[in-house]
Parts: sequence; structure tokens; C-alpha cells
Amino acid sequence: MKYSWLGCLLVGNLLFAGTQDSELNVNKRYTVDTVIVSGKGWKTNIADQQIERMSTGLRKDLLALIGQKLNTGVLDGLAARLKKEFTARDVTHQVFRGDIPDHVRVEFEIRPARFGIDATVTKFLYDSKEGWNGAGSLGFTVQHNSFAFGLASDGDTLNERFAGMAARYENKHLGTDRLGLRFQIESYHQQWNQSTLDALAAPHPQTSDPYRERQNFQPTATITLAKPLTLEVGVAFQRFQNQYPAAHIEAANALVSALRYHHRMPDAEYQQDLDADYTLRAATKVLGSDFVYTSHTAGLRYRVAHGKHQLMEQVTAGTVSGQAPLVDRFVAGNSYYLRGWNKYDIDPIGGNRLMHNTVEYRYGPFQAFYDAGSVWDNGQPATARHSVGVGFKESIFSLAVAFPIRSGHVEPIIMIGMIY
Amino acid sequence: MKTRPRETGISRRSWLLAGLTAPLFSAFAADPMKVTFDGDNLHVAAPTLHFLAGKPLERLKYGDVVAYVAQLELLNDARTTVVRPQKGRFVISYALWEEKFSVTQLGPTPATPPRTVEGLSLAAAETWCFENLTMSTAGLAADVYYWLRLELRTGTARDFADEQKIGVSFRDLVEFFGRKNTEITHWGPLETRVRLADLPRMAGRGSRLG
Repeated sequence: MKYSWLGCLLVGNLLFAGTQDSELNVNKRYTVDTVIVSGKGWKTNIADQQIERMSTGLRKDLLALIGQKLNTGVLDGLAARLKKEFTARDVTHQVFRGDIPDHVRVEFEIRPARFGIDATVTKFLYDSKEGWNGAGSLGFTVQHNSFAFGLASDGDTLNERFAGMAARYENKHLGTDRLGLRFQIESYHQQWNQSTLDALAAPHPQTSDPYRERQNFQPTATITLAKPLTLEVGVAFQRFQNQYPAAHIEAANALVSALRYHHRMPDAEYQQDLDADYTLRAATKVLGSDFVYTSHTAGLRYRVAHGKHQLMEQVTAGTVSGQAPLVDRFVAGNSYYLRGWNKYDIDPIGGNRLMHNTVEYRYGPFQAFYDAGSVWDNGQPATARHSVGVGFKESIFSLAVAFPIRSGHVEPIIMIGMIY
Repeated sequence: MKTRPRETGISRRSWLLAGLTAPLFSAFAADPMKVTFDGDNLHVAAPTLHFLAGKPLERLKYGDVVAYVAQLELLNDARTTVVRPQKGRFVISYALWEEKFSVTQLGPTPATPPRTVEGLSLAAAETWCFENLTMSTAGLAADVYYWLRLELRTGTARDFADEQKIGVSFRDLVEFFGRKNTEITHWGPLETRVRLADLPRMAGRGSRLG
């Protein structure tokens, strides 16, 4: 019985906590007309712009302050949620006079954590054809400086299985929030599928020989041109240690640049996201590269959500001209493109052309998708392939069964794992 | 020609000035708290103690509320025993558009209704708090010397625990309840030696002590 009373009191207090105005603050008579959220080097009017790391629910609740009488108790609750979402050291709120009499402007200030440690699993996937794949990193942040060290064993993404380590240093605030700097070093050991080695035994002027070691050093700068449009520019120095016909080193040194755009359309009922990106990779003799090629990749993704329903459409296209190493060729039949297909059946050495489209529908945790696309080499006919799949996706956990659509036998591929 | 080294000794005029001003300073220092008596209660005034200043004032100017706890204690002449304690709790906010202060005095028990006054200037808000901080003299000897001590600090959740227990009207009484970074600011203590029989009487009030 005493627990019932305790429960009633607790529920009563919680109900009260959500509705009670701050009784003793004389400013409760004023109406909120503006809500600003700011961090180190940035400031956003919540009504005008979406903040990248902020959840829709929190933004909706911040927007709901506008037009209401000031309630500092509610501001405390929102500050606590901001602190949690931004893993901030502290979030404070201040109230100022608004532009019109008896209106006020509320400003939340987010103070970032001075030091933080993250352990991240970036990929953990079992594929019935490729087996286990995993990648993870351990990192820490001091002020604006992030350091991460990661390990990976991935047979899914490329035509090679690569295993090794990666280290990264990143500063997302180089004097200003508009400029960031990143250094990435990777070193992997390769294993090749026999069908890839067989394909490479024939003359292959469009790509490299198989290599047993691959290293990459890539310094890049990220510039926010106009939020949410960012430009990434840098240089990638890749080094391949080949075995055949004799042990030797080859380099693919390229200028890399990527243009990215993300926009979330503010709508209370239908949440819509639009992502677009374009990547250019140009390897040139000027940088001492043994391979000379230019790669262009463009992607467009649109997502609309309403309640438990989500519909996603993603189109990707790419082209490589020149002789690119195997790592920089397009691959389909993995967990990203043409799910359900075996990538070695499509093309064991990948292609220099890619066209792919995905339509995915989700209802709560359940998903159904349809992939269509092709990977081919320039001068050869493109063969369109299709696959369908169903699955269950809850947060990062994903279980999917994908079927290639083709005449003859049906051989589904099962994928279980955590994809970020 | 040799110049005489400059004399650095203190002149007679300086000594005279210091002699004249020293008693003035000591008078100010000795009487930072003024105590009056209305026949039933002691009233205090602390014209030199400005608690609407610094960080708390900054918070008020940013639309926050700040709670203050005033502790008035009557001690025996040896200052070893507290004869009578009295606590006053005030919650202050600042109207951003009117630029005036609002003060709410909480009752000694949760059942006592709070008293609120609005539209005060900074000085008037400070004065109002002290004017409403009184101590009953019932049972005190009129011809005995006591020490009256006044301390003031910004409040904490513990100071308002009773109001939290009753839940409703004071739940979010002081927004800094859950704020880890809110510093507690202290003022005082101010002390003065008093004897009820010597205290100036407030106009218009009779004395029950005779």
C-alpha cells in the first residue's frame, strides 16, 4: 500500500513538474518570441535553422516555447536535454528583452565538454557470403581536438578483405567553426578472393595488380561554405605493396574534394531530410602518383517520415576515368549497393562506372527495400540488376534477408549486424 | 651643490588628519548594522550590505530568480550560546521590461502564505528584505547585553526542502535547485552588541517590556 502512495506522489509530482509555471519569477508575465541556441563559435535561431546534432523532438519542444509565457522551470528541463544530446559540460539559459514590449528572447548556451572518451563500433556485420566484418575505434577529445585509433577487418565494402588499423586526428574548430582539419592514417593487409585473382590474371589495363599491403595518409580540411553546405579538400597519399610479378611499391596520390549538403525541412508532421554529396578524386603524376585517374561520385538521398512510417530514396552514380587501383573502383553486391547479390558474381574486380538506386520503406523497426543498379566498365554494356529484401532494424541493430532478382535459382543473402 | 635628500617622514598635518578621521572610520566600522525595537520585535538594517550585486545580480538581470537566506541570531554577551535564532528566506526576481525587482518572503513554515511585493528598485528591494527580517523579543531580559549577528547567503535546495515536500506551489521555487554550478555567495557576518533597554524605539509603537 505504501508503495501505491509513493507511486501516486511520484506521478503527481511528475505531472506537476511538466505543467507548473515558475510561480515566483516575475518574468512569467512575458511572452517568448525568440529562442536562440549557441555553442562555441556558433549561434542559431531555432526557428530559422535546424541544428545538425539536435533531435527533432527537442527542436520541436524548443520551438513550442515561442508564443508561450516564460516558464523558467521548462527552460531548465530543456537545458538538461540539450546537455545530454550535445554531451556538453554545461548548458545555461538566459532571458533577454525581446524586440517588442513584454516579449523576451531565450538563449541557451552550450559549453562543450573539455575531455571525452568514445568507443565506437563503426561496423559489425555478418554476411552469409563474406562472413564476419567489423570495425571500431577508440578515441578521446580534448577541447576541439579529437584523436581516434581504430581496428578493422572488412570483407564487405570492397573486393578485397582488408584488415588493419587506422588513426585519426581531427580539429573541427580551427579558429572558427567554419574550418576543420583532419589527418588520417590507415594501414591494411589484404586478402583476395580467388575469383578476383583469376580475373586479374587476364590483362586489366583499367586497374592495378592485387596488393598485399595498403597504406593511406590523408590530410583534409573541411570548410563550411554556407551552412549546411560543406567543402572538404585534401590530398590522399596511398601506397600499395604488390607481390606480382615481383615485390614492388606503387603509389596513388590524389587530390580529394567532397561537397556535402544536408537539409532537414522543418515540418511538425512530416519530417523530411535531404542529403546530397559529390566527391572528386584526381590522381596525378604531379603528386608522384603511379596511377593517373579521375573519379567522380555523386549521391542524393531523400527521407520522409510520418509517425512510424519512413520512406527513403537514394540514388548514387559514379565514374572513373584512367587507371585506378582496385580500392578506388566501384563495388556492388555488398551491404550498401545491390544487397542480396554476390559482388564476385557481378564483377570480381569491380567497375569504373556505377549507377544505383535504393527505395526503402520502414514501419517502426520493420524494413523492406528494393535495390536496382549496375557496376560495369567503360566500353562494356551495363547490366541492370535488382534485388529486394526485408528486415528488422532497431537503432543500430539490423537483420535483413536480401534476394537477388534473376531467372533461375534464388540464393538469398542474410545480413546480421550493426550498421552505423 | 648637494641637494638634500627628500624627507619621507609623516608630516604633522597628516597626523592631525588621521587623528580626526580615525574615529569616523571606527564609527562606521562599528555600526554596520542598525538595530531598532518596536516593543515586541527587533528590526535590523544593514545599509552597507548590498546583496543585490555581483553574480546574483547578473543572474537576476538574465531573467533568473535568486533565493536568499538571512540568518539573524541573538547570542549571549560572551557570544558562546545562541539565545534565539531567526531565519528569513527571500526569493527575488527582476522584471526585464519594467526593470524593477520582485521579492517574495517565504513563511517560517510551509503552511504560512508567502508575501510578495513587486515594482521595487534595487535599494528598495534590499531594504524590504531587512525590514521584514524581525526577531521577537518575547522572554528576553531588557537590561542584559546580547550580541546580534546577521549573515546572508544565496539559498540552496536544502533551505527550501519543506516547500519541496508540499510539492505544488513551490516546486520550482528556486530554479537553481538542480544546478550544480550555482555558487553560494555569502555576506557578513555583521555583529553588534545590544541591550533592549538602550535600543531606539520605533515611532508609533508601545512597549510591552516597559
